[in-house]
Amino acid sequence: MGVWHLTAVELEALKLSLWVSAWAVAVSLPAGVLTAWVLARGRFAGKHFLDGLVHLPLVLPPVVIGYLLLVLMGRNGVIGALLYEYLGIVVAFNWKGAALAAAVMAFPLMVRAVRLALESVDQGLEAAARTLGAGPWRVFFTITLPLIVPGIITGAILAFARSLGEFGATITFVSNIAGQTQTLPLALYTLTQVPDGEAAALRLCVLSVLIAMAALIFSEQVSRRFTRRLRGEQ
Amino acid sequence: MAFMKRIRHLWVLVLLFSFGPNLGTCVAASAVNDLVVFAAASTTNALGEIGTLYEARGMGHVTFSFASSSTLAKQIESGAPADVFLSADVPWMTYLEDKKKVAPENRQELLGNRIVLVVPADSPVKAVEIEPGFSLSNVLGKEGRLSMGDPEHVPAGKYGRKALEQMGVWDQVKDRLAPMKDVRAALVMVERGEAPLGLVYATDAAISQKVRVVGIFPSDSHSPIVYPVAAVSGGKMEAAKPFLTFLKGSEARAIFLKYGFDVR
Amino acid sequence: MISVQVEKNQSGFMIQAEFQAPAKGVTALFGPSGAGKTSIINMVAGLLRPDSGHIQVNGRCLFDSRQGIDLPPERRGVGYVFQDGRLFPHLSVKSNLTYGMRGTPKEQRYVTFDQVVDLLGIGHLLDRRPARLSGGEKQRVAIGRALLANPSLLLMDEPLASLDGPRKAEVLPFIGRLAEAFAVPILYVSHAREEIESLAGTVLNVAAGGIVAADSGVAARSGPRAPVDAALPKAY
Repeated sequence: MGVWHLTAVELEALKLSLWVSAWAVAVSLPAGVLTAWVLARGRFAGKHFLDGLVHLPLVLPPVVIGYLLLVLMGRNGVIGALLYEYLGIVVAFNWKGAALAAAVMAFPLMVRAVRLALESVDQGLEAAARTLGAGPWRVFFTITLPLIVPGIITGAILAFARSLGEFGATITFVSNIAGQTQTLPLALYTLTQVPDGEAAALRLCVLSVLIAMAALIFSEQVSRRFTRRLRGEQ
Repeated sequence: MAFMKRIRHLWVLVLLFSFGPNLGTCVAASAVNDLVVFAAASTTNALGEIGTLYEARGMGHVTFSFASSSTLAKQIESGAPADVFLSADVPWMTYLEDKKKVAPENRQELLGNRIVLVVPADSPVKAVEIEPGFSLSNVLGKEGRLSMGDPEHVPAGKYGRKALEQMGVWDQVKDRLAPMKDVRAALVMVERGEAPLGLVYATDAAISQKVRVVGIFPSDSHSPIVYPVAAVSGGKMEAAKPFLTFLKGSEARAIFLKYGFDVR
Repeated sequence: MISVQVEKNQSGFMIQAEFQAPAKGVTALFGPSGAGKTSIINMVAGLLRPDSGHIQVNGRCLFDSRQGIDLPPERRGVGYVFQDGRLFPHLSVKSNLTYGMRGTPKEQRYVTFDQVVDLLGIGHLLDRRPARLSGGEKQRVAIGRALLANPSLLLMDEPLASLDGPRKAEVLPFIGRLAEAFAVPILYVSHAREEIESLAGTVLNVAAGGIVAADSGVAARSGPRAPVDAALPKAY
C-alpha cells in the first residue's frame, strides 16, 4: 500500500493540474462558444482561414505552440510586453501561463464539440422565436444556448481532459517549476529523467488515467441527462 | 479507365518523391560504418561539424540525437538504437555502465567545460562578482527567474546547483528558478529576455550573439565538468571505435577548442 | 388592411406577387406545392428578404425596398404558426405560450392568456413538455403561442398538413373560432381545398411564384404592376 501513497511533490502536482485545467476550461469556454458560433453560422470571406487557425493546436507539434506562446505572450513577447506594461499581468513562468498553454491546446476540441451541437440545432426554432418578438440576443440565450448545453458540456470535459494531459507546450512556454507550472505530466516527465524514478512515474501514470476516465464517464452521464431533459423525457 | 491510370502514375510519382532523395542515403545508412550518436545538447554545434568532417573523410555517415544527457541515458537504458553516447557528466555515464548499457573498455574522458552566468545582450548588468555569498537575488530583481537546466537531472543544472551551493547562494534562488529540460532551452530563455539571468556552459554562451557572459564560476566550485564518451553495448561497437578515435584526433580537438571546450 | 407587393429571384425561381387582404378574417393563399406560398409569407414575416417591393400591415410599413425599410421579424408584430409547430422542446407548454408575451404592455393586449387557453382547450397541458403532446395538441399550442404575442397579423403555413384526419377535424374548428373571436387578420397557406372552403373569406390563388386567377372579386396580378382593388368577402 505504501507504494500508492502520493508524496508531497506528487500531491502538489495533482492539485496544480486540477487548478490549471479548471481555469483553462473556464477561460476557453466563452471564446470557444463564440468561435463555434461564428464558424457554424457565419458566412464571410476568411472563414476557412479561421477554421484552420483554430485547428492549428491539433496538428502542430505542441512544442511549436509552446514556442509561439513564448514569442507572443512571454515577458518580452509581442502581446505579453503590452500586458505587463499596461495591466501588470505576467503569464510567464507561473500557473497562468500553464493554464494558457492548456487552454490553447484544448481549444480546438471545445470548438468542435460546440460547433457540432450548434449545427444540429433546428434553426426553424430560432426563426419561430424571432416571430414571437425575440431579438437575436434573446434568441441566443433562451433558445440556442439551452439547446446546445450537452455539446458545451462535452466540449468542456474534453477540454478539461486534454488540459490535464498537456505537456509539450507547457514545458516549452513556462518551464518546469514545482508549485507553479509542474503539472502532473511535467512531474511524471521529471520522474522519468531521474535515476530510479520509475515507481513514482508509474504511480502518477495510473493516477492520470483514473482522472481522465472519471472525467469522461462524468461527461457522458451529464450530457445524457441534459439531452433527456431537453427532449422532455424526464 | 484513363483516370485510374493517371491516379496510379500519380502514386508512383509521390512514392518516388518521398523515397527517391533518400534512396542514396538509404543505401548509405545501411552501410556498416554509419553511426547513431547520442550526445549532450551542449555539444550540438561542435559535434555537428565533426560529424560532417567524418563523413567528408569517407569514414561513415553519423546521425546525431542531441538532448539533455539525462534524457539520452534513459533512452539508451530502454534500448534506444545508439552506437555512441557522449554525456555531459560522469554520473549519467556511470549510471549506464552500472546497467551494463555501455562498454567500459572504450570509455574515455573527452571534454571539459565551465559554467557561467549570462544575461541578455541588452541587459544593464555588466559584471557579477562570483564570490561566496554574492547577492544573486539582487541581479534577478523582484520578479526575475534564473534560467538553467533542471537541477534534478540536467548535468548543467546539477553543476550549477553545486556551484551555487558552494557559493552559499542556493537558498537565495532555489525558489526563483526556471528549470528547463536541457541547457540549450535555458539559453533560449535568456536570449529571448524572458529570464534576466541564466546559468549555462561557457560554450553555449560563446555561440550565442544574444547573450553576454557576466561571470564565470571558479572550477572548484563544482565537481569537475567532465564529458565522458563511450560505445553503447549492443550497438555497432566495431564501427564506433574509429569514431571514438577520431574524436580524440587533432582535427576534432581543434573544432572542440574553437567552440570553447576544454580538451582533455 | 394588408398590402403586399414583393419580387424575389430564388435561384432561378421567380416570385412576383402582389395582393391585398382585408384587415379581418381569414385570407387563404391557395395553390399546389412549390408554388411559392411559403416563400411569400416568409417575406411577410421578415424571415426571407425580398429583392424589391413593399409590405404594409394596417398602415404600418414593414418593408419598402425604395425607402430602405426592412424591419427585423421581432419588430413586425407578425405572428407565425409553422407547419411543424416548432414548439421549444426545452420549455413547458406554459413557457412556450408566454414566450412572446413579454413585449406587450397589458393595456395593448387584445387577448389574455386565459382566453387563449380556454379557446384552444389546452389548460390541462400547461405543465407538459412538447415531447409529450400529440400532433393536434402541438398545433393548438403553436396557435396559442403565436396569438399570445399579440400580433397584428397572423400567418399560418399549412398548420394542419402534418395531422391525420381526426386531428385535422379536431384543430380546424379552433382556427375558425379564432378568426371570429379576435380581430386579428389571418393569412392562411394551404393546398387543401376543404380547409380553405371552411375557413377562408378571401382566396388568393398562387401558382408559379405569382398570384393568378382572381377568385370572387379578389384582384391580384403577377407581372407588371396594376392597381389592386380591395378584396370583397366571399359570399357563403
